[in-house]
Amino acid sequence: MSSKLFKSQKQFKVVTIEECGSCGLKMKRLFQPNDFIFKEGSNCQKCGSKTMMTSIYKEEISS
Amino acid sequence: MLQLFPVDQSLLQQILSLIFYGIFFLYLFFGQSIQTQRVLYSLSGALNKIKDARDKSTKELQTFLQKNGYKGDATPQIDKLIEYFTITPVSIDPAGLVKKIEHLLSVRDERVRYEVKKLLPEKDSVTTSIMENLLEISTTLNLYYKVVRHYYLVGKKTSNYYLLLQLQIILPDLLREVEALFSAVEPIKSGQPIGDGIGALVAGKLMLNSEKKPIARDTIFSEVPYKNRKLYVIKAEGPAANVGQPGNAIESLVNKYGVKPSTIIMIDAALKLEGEATGEVAEGVGAAIGGIGVDKYKIEEIASSMGIPLYAIIIKESIVEAITAMTKEIAEAASKVHSRLDALIESNTKEGDIIMVVGVGNTLGVGQ
Repeated sequence: MSSKLFKSQKQFKVVTIEECGSCGLKMKRLFQPNDFIFKEGSNCQKCGSKTMMTSIYKEEISS
Repeated sequence: MLQLFPVDQSLLQQILSLIFYGIFFLYLFFGQSIQTQRVLYSLSGALNKIKDARDKSTKELQTFLQKNGYKGDATPQIDKLIEYFTITPVSIDPAGLVKKIEHLLSVRDERVRYEVKKLLPEKDSVTTSIMENLLEISTTLNLYYKVVRHYYLVGKKTSNYYLLLQLQIILPDLLREVEALFSAVEPIKSGQPIGDGIGALVAGKLMLNSEKKPIARDTIFSEVPYKNRKLYVIKAEGPAANVGQPGNAIESLVNKYGVKPSTIIMIDAALKLEGEATGEVAEGVGAAIGGIGVDKYKIEEIASSMGIPLYAIIIKESIVEAITAMTKEIAEAASKVHSRLDALIESNTKEGDIIMVVGVGNTLGVGQ
């Protein structure tokens, strides 16, 4: 799927946003297989509480 | 002849005149043949693009199967499945047509689901639903390719310039749809939320800390207390690639469980017009739901027969954005929808009311 079939096909990266319910810290990382919105995420880097995946979206890769 | 090539002209002028008249008469007698060849040339390029998209998506289907433990060559099974067709019921007597369409679609879905389960017997519902969606993409691309090829070949065989011209006119829109379908393969294969899932995302957030109960095929609901009112939040069961049956869910809640909603609010992604911004939120009335019309019909029937106001909140996006990985603008629209929903509930319902909130769309990559 890497080959461009259509001229307008741009390159994207998909990111997952993990949000801490305790301190509100938002962490952005690359999407991993089995990620889904409202799934429990990793531990918060600030307060150590469990985070939740609150958003998954694509961002254009600037060349 | 003397007037065409006056003797007082230079040799160069006479040659140029000769070329001009040559071209003039060539176009006069063979103009349409030349135009036909030009259209055929541009159509063959587009046809090759559609064929490439079809072939690549089918190859991805094979790779997906093998990655999920299918042993051997799945080509015969895939070829059989992408050729699977549905004959729409007769419409000369339209009474009861929706029921017939619903029955046929249900039989088709069950059949495809059974075939996919046969290919991936050990896999969970998320994987099999992704496979079903990939299969649907390949089936649609295969259909587009075969229909365009049919008109291309008929036009070529009969040198029918006007048939080819019609095909050329619709080609940009068709290629945009092919591009959208082709671009959807990667995010669906990876289980990423797609733009169409924004309605499911909003509903999923509302039902986060409530008990989820099944209500129709691939569809769940939660009872959520909200500002001294009770919300019945309905969505397809995520994170599998499901759209669920919102029509059947509302019908069951109303007819089977005796729920008497004072308002139904539907949230869905809607195709934007050129020039409109992606992620723009708009409000209106009516059943905000796509598809062939079975769910829309059922919801409209219940709402009109019981006199329930039917409101819609839509999130605007293009066809490509709707079926490819969700963009930041669409994801960020979720909070705007929550504010609109809040205002709508406050202004149109009173304390003690029961409100149905339906998050419509493919819930791939969106839990609850």
